[in-house]
Amino acid sequence: MTYNEESDVFSIQTKNMTKKFAKKKHRGFFGFLRREQSKKNNHITVALDKVNIKIRSQELFGLLGPNGSGKTTMIKCLSTILIPDEGTAIVNGFDIRKETSKVRASLGLVVGGERTLYWKLTARDNLMYFSSLYKMQRRYAKKRIDELLEVFQLSDRADERLEDYSTGMRQKVAIARALLHDPPILLLDEPTLGLDPNFARQIRNQIRELSEKQGKTVLLTTHYMDEADQLCDRVAFINNGKIVAVDTPNRLKAMVKETERLEITVYRPPADIEEHIRSLLPEADVIKLIPGDEAEGIPSKIKIIGGSTEKHVGKIIDFLRIKNVRIGSLDVGVPTLEDVFIKLTGTKLIEGGKQ
Amino acid sequence: MDSFYQQSTLRSNLSVVWNELVKNIKFLLAYPVIIVFWTIFPIFWHIPFILQGQALVGGLTSDSFAQATGTPNYIPFIVIGAVLNSYVSTLLNGMGDNIRRESLQGTLDYVLAAPCNKASVLVGKALSESISSTIFAISQFAISLLLFPISVSLGAMLPVFFIIILLILGLYGLSLVFAAFSLMYKQSHGFGQTVGYVFYIFSPVRYPVESLPFAAQIFGKLLPLTYAIIIVRSLMLLGADLSAVYMEVLALVIIDAILIVAGFLLFNYMEEKTKKTGEISHY
Repeated sequence: MTYNEESDVFSIQTKNMTKKFAKKKHRGFFGFLRREQSKKNNHITVALDKVNIKIRSQELFGLLGPNGSGKTTMIKCLSTILIPDEGTAIVNGFDIRKETSKVRASLGLVVGGERTLYWKLTARDNLMYFSSLYKMQRRYAKKRIDELLEVFQLSDRADERLEDYSTGMRQKVAIARALLHDPPILLLDEPTLGLDPNFARQIRNQIRELSEKQGKTVLLTTHYMDEADQLCDRVAFINNGKIVAVDTPNRLKAMVKETERLEITVYRPPADIEEHIRSLLPEADVIKLIPGDEAEGIPSKIKIIGGSTEKHVGKIIDFLRIKNVRIGSLDVGVPTLEDVFIKLTGTKLIEGGKQ
Repeated sequence: MDSFYQQSTLRSNLSVVWNELVKNIKFLLAYPVIIVFWTIFPIFWHIPFILQGQALVGGLTSDSFAQATGTPNYIPFIVIGAVLNSYVSTLLNGMGDNIRRESLQGTLDYVLAAPCNKASVLVGKALSESISSTIFAISQFAISLLLFPISVSLGAMLPVFFIIILLILGLYGLSLVFAAFSLMYKQSHGFGQTVGYVFYIFSPVRYPVESLPFAAQIFGKLLPLTYAIIIVRSLMLLGADLSAVYMEVLALVIIDAILIVAGFLLFNYMEEKTKKTGEISHY
């Protein structure tokens, strides 16, 4: 079972899918007296803006974007938790607006992570409960639960309450739940968020195996560029609810030439450093200061993308020395998906440069 | 159709109800102290009524009370009202609280994103919410039987159970209304308590329905609790059989049907509305 990038069989197709949220402004204790006025102040957020994507059968597809870009809303619309305001999506051949039961049965869902389980129940009890919601016969469910507990190396602790589990173990239970009814499509919303590197690696390996060995179609949302780069057949960038690019990680990275990319880690950069470097490199597409957290040992980063950046490295270093900015490291070439995202949107993927 | 999709069957629906019930019982057992409260509290619950009876009528029976109600024993009269009323408070608040708990735990999205029939989940929740009331009711009845002259035969108890089930069904319908409010407004407790008090005042929990002003009697006759209390008192205290109270039984069945249909319609409406506004995923 392998993914065919030429295939025109699609497991998920969104058609102009749009979702807006009205954010109500807090009106204070006597706000109800000012109803008409306050309604005008309600702010509309466009979480998904006419999204059109096609995900091939058995594809491992990444949706990459910063917090609040619309990734989770997309997953929630596809899984019928939310109803789009406009447009629709076809999931496994079923319309999310009209054939909700069949869409739900086609999907395995991981959204919200470890918090979405019953911590006062054991792993086995959790899985048994959710198996009934997927109309699985008890005898078959028991067998399937044993299999999944084995796969996720949880058999030894299957009868302990989840409150005694680590975050990573609970996340494994959440993924096992998504696999209970052996669905053809998995929607995984930030499945490695908050996990330590060891658990994150285990989860990534599981996801790869589900795609490659079991032929599942996987829609993975993440803001970890390395994760998307390592795992995904194709990646879509989403920003402010809009899809800004869709392609394979390699083709996306080819949008930034090695000679066009420079990343410098610095300590205590002045606030106006972007403007100063801009005056040195007027032809650069993006000059972005990504603040770090020096108290936590995380330096700031200056990303320069576009133009003949490589040629001007010496000039930039001289300038930083004049400004008494301490340089931690300097990295030229080998663009990342984040560089492409910054080039396309001018926005960084990860808050504070942390991952 | 692929194997991942199964049609809903009676068996799969019952399985959802059962697993929902089991899940909630396991939650209950995770906090066992509350069970001690439910079983011990009914013992103390009787004391104020005994003392009140002694202060007002110098004992536990009253001729004037017998003229108004047909029975001189006012404590069994009140116990029946209170036991049935305890189903009101736990069910009205319980269902809304259950939905709220699922929302706070983050599990509500998963329940609503599953392909099963949501009605089965709600029935399972309602059944589990009745457990605490039933433990409480059994304790209250058992203690009342020991303390007061209530003659109970198995033959009389079967119709009583039947009426309690009818009452619970009507309250399930109403509790769905509160579950629907909980989806939208993220809490229904205040509303549930208010409606609980309306039941307490306008149904004959502690006094005969005739004690109420005429307009209040009319309103009280829209409430399922009113009919349940009248029927159970007739069966247990006055020795009547179901045929003597068939009009009240019929009224209770009609109110149940209206409440259940209205409850499901409102819940489905609120589910769709909150999915459109995004409120469904808010805490």
